[in-house]
Amino acid sequence: MASFDVMPDVQLYQPAELEDALNLADQLGDKGWILGGGQDTYGWLKDRAKHPQAMIDLTGIEALRGVRETSDGIEIGATTTLREVIRDERIKRDYSLLISAADVVASPQIRNVGTLGGNLTQDTRCWYYRRGLDCYRAGGNICYANSTESMNREHCVFGASRCVAVSPSDTAIALTALDAKMVIQSMDGQRVVTADDFFVGPDTHITSMTSLGRREILTAIRIPSKWAGKKFYFEKVADRNVWDFALVSIAAAMSIDGDAIADSRFVLGGVACTPHRLRNVERAARGKSLSEESAAALASLASEGAQPLKYNHYKLPLMENLVRRATRA
Amino acid sequence: MDIATYKHDVWGTEVLRGVSWDLLWLVIVAAFFAIVLHGIYEARQERGAPPSSEGERVQRHQKIDRIFHWIMAFSMFALLITGILPILGVNFAWLSLHWMAGLLLTAIVLAHILRSIFVKDLSSVAISAADIREGLDDSKKPGKYSVAQKGLHAVVALVTLVVIITGLVMFAMIDTPWWDRTNSLSESTLGWTFFLHGLSTLALVGLISLHVYFALRPEKLFYLRSMFGGWISKDELSANHDPERWAPDETS
Repeated sequence: MASFDVMPDVQLYQPAELEDALNLADQLGDKGWILGGGQDTYGWLKDRAKHPQAMIDLTGIEALRGVRETSDGIEIGATTTLREVIRDERIKRDYSLLISAADVVASPQIRNVGTLGGNLTQDTRCWYYRRGLDCYRAGGNICYANSTESMNREHCVFGASRCVAVSPSDTAIALTALDAKMVIQSMDGQRVVTADDFFVGPDTHITSMTSLGRREILTAIRIPSKWAGKKFYFEKVADRNVWDFALVSIAAAMSIDGDAIADSRFVLGGVACTPHRLRNVERAARGKSLSEESAAALASLASEGAQPLKYNHYKLPLMENLVRRATRA
Repeated sequence: MDIATYKHDVWGTEVLRGVSWDLLWLVIVAAFFAIVLHGIYEARQERGAPPSSEGERVQRHQKIDRIFHWIMAFSMFALLITGILPILGVNFAWLSLHWMAGLLLTAIVLAHILRSIFVKDLSSVAISAADIREGLDDSKKPGKYSVAQKGLHAVVALVTLVVIITGLVMFAMIDTPWWDRTNSLSESTLGWTFFLHGLSTLALVGLISLHVYFALRPEKLFYLRSMFGGWISKDELSANHDPERWAPDETS
């Protein structure tokens, strides 16, 4: 497949109002492409692996930028850059888990232009798919990443259903752990979905990683106050410290009562097509103290139900160790 | 409108990917017009009083055959719903439901075939020259099944076998509780499998639409009733069938 230094001929719309963007999305449908910071988009287009006729650039819409306080937490506009998220004092004070995640996304240059909405809605990095092969995710009838010859070191160990790709988003696991809700708008109105429902696996929708429709736009992310100021843990394991996607990552939020975990969220990245909640660990953690002993017990649960592929068995002990590190005192 | 869709395989060669699902709308529209036209034709026919469902009864379907029929109907509808709704944009976790319903259909069709060969009279659904003559002559009544019923059965049987065989091949290509997928078929063979599976699915959408329509026609409702209760009245028998060619047992 050819790769080009230049962009293909694509019509560019730069609306200043959300209403105009929604109108365009509605009119263009499958032919349109929603553009945030462009850090996922430009690769697709320059590789000529996706062929939208028009792009709708959202970054000129002021209403989609910035962090606002709400009656129950905060709301972050979808085109707020990752750098702006990292520098926001309210997020730093109450939801530092998101800061930790946003701070390890790609590189400083990419964080300067990449948006939170774009980071959440970016497509998978399965190289067979990104290469432009007609796999299941591209609407075909085969998965090239799961055969005896496939290179699948970075693919999933949970939730495979024909496709074995993983979600590449660092912020997705943090926002899932924070029980965030996604505000989605279209010409039909607004709907708000939980992060759990926003990210969809291949069993539900094999050609999309989110429940966003073609005519819909993610406009904001709401983080409830439930986890504000709680104990957080984030760690990303990748081959490189910068400009790389997670092999496995973990975002944990814990509400501590005395010295015991009263409630918690443990979410793994890089192991499934969606942020993977460790509900068994969350249940088992209730009432446990933060100690080496309970960390070891919880860690052993992390890989329950995992189905590794040929080259990614290493993710199992990695997941267990990340849970262990998250639940140490 | 294309019949098939194509893709490039890993070597860059163009191969078949599957059926073009645009055809689904063509099938739906064609089935709709066929039903409307037949409905208009039937509405213009003069009919006498319908035969009475009262009085003595004869058995049309044994209990085991009725159970087979309704399990087949359930699995077929489950397959169509789980297979087609995602294509229409209704997203849900359909694949496991689909192959479970597929296995149920395979098992019940296999049982039906074995029973038809070894227990029942297979010739009762075979289309003979007499059946064709009967179809062309309004004065002649059929045996147990009319030529139209036999014809529909033959086509549905053929298409169902194609959808089952291709479905089983596709089933071998996914992870299941019993095995891990192998990706062992060439992309071209896989494309043909998907194409035939899709094409037979489209045919079934049309055929089942017609089957349901005919089952709900007022003058045919006694057949639907017999698929629940197993019986038709002697009056219905003599009005619609030739007792020389079909002499069913009396039933209570």
